[in-house]
Amino acid sequence: MNVIVSYDISEDKRRTKIHNILKSYGQWVQYSVFECQLSDTQYAKLRWRLNKLIKPDTDSIRFYFLCACCFGKVERIGGEPVYDDTVFFAECADG
Amino acid sequence: MGTVYITQEDAFIGKTDERLHVKFDKKTILDVPLIKIDGVVVMGRATVSPAAISELLERHIPLTFLTETGRYLGRLEPEVSKNIFVRKAQWQAVGESVQAIHVVQGFVRGKLKNYRNLLIRRQREFPDLDLSAYITRLEQAIAPIDTTNSINSLRGLEGAGSAAYFNCFHQLIRATEFTFTTRSRRPPTDPVNSLLSFGYSLLRHDIQGAIDIVGFDPYLGYLHCERYGRPALALDLMEEFRPLIVDAVVLSALNKRLLTPVEFVTEPLSHAVSLTGEGRKTFLRLYAQKKQSEFKHPVLGRKCSYQEAFELQARLLAKYLMGEIEKYPPLVLK
Repeated sequence: MNVIVSYDISEDKRRTKIHNILKSYGQWVQYSVFECQLSDTQYAKLRWRLNKLIKPDTDSIRFYFLCACCFGKVERIGGEPVYDDTVFFAECADG
Repeated sequence: MGTVYITQEDAFIGKTDERLHVKFDKKTILDVPLIKIDGVVVMGRATVSPAAISELLERHIPLTFLTETGRYLGRLEPEVSKNIFVRKAQWQAVGESVQAIHVVQGFVRGKLKNYRNLLIRRQREFPDLDLSAYITRLEQAIAPIDTTNSINSLRGLEGAGSAAYFNCFHQLIRATEFTFTTRSRRPPTDPVNSLLSFGYSLLRHDIQGAIDIVGFDPYLGYLHCERYGRPALALDLMEEFRPLIVDAVVLSALNKRLLTPVEFVTEPLSHAVSLTGEGRKTFLRLYAQKKQSEFKHPVLGRKCSYQEAFELQARLLAKYLMGEIEKYPPLVLK
């Protein structure tokens, strides 16, 4: 499934933690917005991890689901391009 | 899902949260979620942290070690599959059994037919080439496969067919800067051979991964005989994919001039030829793109990528050996 996760966290330390967790599940596209492509179990795990961390009265996290058809229609102007996840290289820029 | 290639010498591979983290010189050079990874290939030397090792094993992500030039060194594998029935069927078919002969016929037929189709297609694309003599020789090797019932004779047909193919391989290269006379390996002594060897190494990593998933013992093959540390079954199953993936990628890299002679270096004494860092990256990217490209599977009748086809073919092989289907259909593409 394709999920857009946006969050509003009042405390810096907790926000960093949330940000760090989300980095393991998807791509950071804007301040406090992530795009994730997840399986059901991966989503459940992410939700559970985030749920444990936040303070529900001051923080909020929103998950917006996009169907496969709508995901193809997302338009992005500027900012980070979506990365290609078929191959990753670990190499220093200067060789 | 993708494969991580670590081409930086002396990199440090670690784990932070649920991500694979590669550092060099204390700087992060790669940080990817583990859920996006289905294989890690280390080229050259690298340090792998204990946490990363256990996490990779836990998630069933194989870690393969290649030398800088792409020669296979070894592999850290997750637990062998629990499916004993597949392995039992695999062992029961060992030697000159009816099943072994049938699957070897399949592997050889798949490889040679793909060779032939590749030549026919090139012939059509470039009418100035004359490949008909080689195509005839290939067909002469293909025709007796189904009536040959000894594995050694089948190996002979495979050799004859491959020889015919590699005899005209130089005609398929349209870039005048590159020449090919004969297949050389250990070490490859010209750029074309070095690309072929490198490609076959990468293919082997992928096929071995697929047969592990299905639950085979990779060291027991039918076409390739057992030798210490040689994953014979992976080499068997590779045969039909060689022309489809590696040869196609090598030819398109050279003919589209994506790789030029600048990207190759020759070792002074052994004359071993290998790619430079930049060239290697170009080639790895082309190979990855090829693996993800889709086609219609002729037997299953649905779309799949080559990456999926590795596993599909391994599953078909398992089904045949366990007696669930009548025949093993090698992947032959027009």
